[in-house]
Amino acid sequence: MVNYIVRRLLLLPLVVLGVTFLLFLLTQRLSPEMRASLYVKDPRQMGALEEVIRQYGLRDSVFKQYGRWLGNVVRGDLGYSPSANMPVSQAIKEYLPATIQLAFITILFVVFFGVWFGSASAVHKDKWQDIAARIVSVGGFSLPIFVLGLILLMIFYGRLGWFAPGGYSVHTDMVIHGGAFKTYTGFLLIDSLLNGNWRVFGDVLSHLVLPAVTLCIGSFALMVRVMRSSMLEEMNKDYVRTARAKGLAPWQVVYKHAGKNAIIPVITLASIQFIRLLGGTVIVETIFDYPGIGRFGVIAAQQLDIAGILGFSLMVAILFVLGNLLSDILYTAVDPRIRLE
Amino acid sequence: MTGTDEPILQVRDLTIEFAAEQGRLPVLHGLDYALPKGRVLGVVGESGSGKTVHALSLLRLLPPTAHICRGEICYKGKNLALLKEKELRKIRGHKISMIFQDPSASLNPVLTIGEQLTETLLAHRKLSKEAARSKAARLLEKVGISEPEKRLKEYPFQFSGGMCQRVMIAMALALEPDILIADEPTTALDVTVQAQILQLIKQLQQESGMSAIFITHNLAVVAGVADEVLVLYAGRCMEQAPAARLFADPQHPYTQGLLHSLAPVEKKVDRLPVIAGHPPVPGEPEGGCPFAPRCPFAFEKCRQACPPLFELGGGRRVRCWLQEGKK
Repeated sequence: MVNYIVRRLLLLPLVVLGVTFLLFLLTQRLSPEMRASLYVKDPRQMGALEEVIRQYGLRDSVFKQYGRWLGNVVRGDLGYSPSANMPVSQAIKEYLPATIQLAFITILFVVFFGVWFGSASAVHKDKWQDIAARIVSVGGFSLPIFVLGLILLMIFYGRLGWFAPGGYSVHTDMVIHGGAFKTYTGFLLIDSLLNGNWRVFGDVLSHLVLPAVTLCIGSFALMVRVMRSSMLEEMNKDYVRTARAKGLAPWQVVYKHAGKNAIIPVITLASIQFIRLLGGTVIVETIFDYPGIGRFGVIAAQQLDIAGILGFSLMVAILFVLGNLLSDILYTAVDPRIRLE
Repeated sequence: MTGTDEPILQVRDLTIEFAAEQGRLPVLHGLDYALPKGRVLGVVGESGSGKTVHALSLLRLLPPTAHICRGEICYKGKNLALLKEKELRKIRGHKISMIFQDPSASLNPVLTIGEQLTETLLAHRKLSKEAARSKAARLLEKVGISEPEKRLKEYPFQFSGGMCQRVMIAMALALEPDILIADEPTTALDVTVQAQILQLIKQLQQESGMSAIFITHNLAVVAGVADEVLVLYAGRCMEQAPAARLFADPQHPYTQGLLHSLAPVEKKVDRLPVIAGHPPVPGEPEGGCPFAPRCPFAFEKCRQACPPLFELGGGRRVRCWLQEGKK
């Protein structure tokens, strides 16, 4: 097992190098002038363009430029992001926890309800519970995220005004950037609790609800299906018959015996979905103007903020590898056959 | 033999049907027998004879497509065929327990042996976890598993097939049941292991004085353990007799055929005698004796009407027209 983890971690730099180099190559399609123009805002200072190009070596070969960027990254310098108006490393530190927070809450809901509905659907196959779960699942599956997100915005923000979209309230911003607020984890939901600040907690939570629900519904549908078919398969196995023959109560047979086996594919799916959420909340973060890493990436891309784009993709690549690793570790935790062999 | 004649289990007119696309397929037709206390009944039949369905039906563990459509399963004055599910749960694994054909698949792969054993104990007895655990260790020891404390923490995949069956036996006997139903308990095991498992079951059965129903396609297995034998064919009891008498003097042509087809130990043969033909498929139009198409002695009457079970005295019953008027 340790061996396996080490091998996976050795793979990490390779993946990161591959992804960032490909992106770097793409940015070279832009002329040095275009890449420099972002740093020269004032049209009257066009002469400064050449200076920027020379200063950053934008006419050097791809490999030389990439090597320079990589050298800086190793030293912890990801460059300055004009679109976010701060160094890229600081932008990641500020936006990434918000995205992880969103993805984590989403996946918690998805797993909880997916497992619940999926197993209920399997246990009551072809009864009303099953039909209801299947309708919800097909519906959720066929509704695009951007449509669903907009509908939810219209109803809960536009009509009812229950939840807030957009950035955190001014009060929250003032508190968290003020000196008294201690940063423990970087996750505002946890930090606000640790600071005992309920107002910030409530504000952060209300910003999380709509994006999380939107993300949930699509992933939830797949989860229900996987859990349902996995459960149906397990319910037909010999050991379930043994469990019944022992005189166990139905809930023990279903949840303790069949459920523990049926959950194994769900863990794989949940990890994949979690990883996808980390890099793929872009649409939802944009719709709800949620201050996460996805929105940072989109703005960087729109404004040709190359340092920002590279920093964003570097982050996503690392998260992908780590997420996969986490999924494998989780997998072995549930299945003794993998853990002990 | 420690048995008395008082039956602990009485099966009357047990009829089971499968719901299939073609309609309802009967797989067991009016099975009747009584299992005396402390005795072992062997149920013999080839694949598709209804023997496993019969075994599962006793504790109502049939798959959802099958159901008992007629008959009674009487245990201590209760009809298990109609008993409420909740009441039945108190009997399953406690008063009547069961072991199955494929021991490795019959244990839950992700729970430890210890969990699976103690769970049976805790389902029926008020015990502390520690008490259940030490009892589980003693049970493992009883079925011949060494280092029980260590083995309790292991998972089924760390056990061989024979060891898994020992665990299943320990689990089945954990609460000293009145009846053990063994559905082909040795079929999936190596021949040498088969003998050990059979011996273990027989020994434990005699020690505790419980009754057992042994379901198998293997006549040699039955000869070793059963006091009484019931031969099933196409869902019908063809012959029932005390084991010694059945082997010495089989009355039904099917039983005779089965005994003939056993490989003799003392001499080498190139070809074993077989019973020509195939058993009927459930749902095929009936009429006449189900064995008639394969029976060397079949005559006109056999093809027209299914014979009843003729009582021959001495506990023998045979479903064959040849017995008519013989008594």
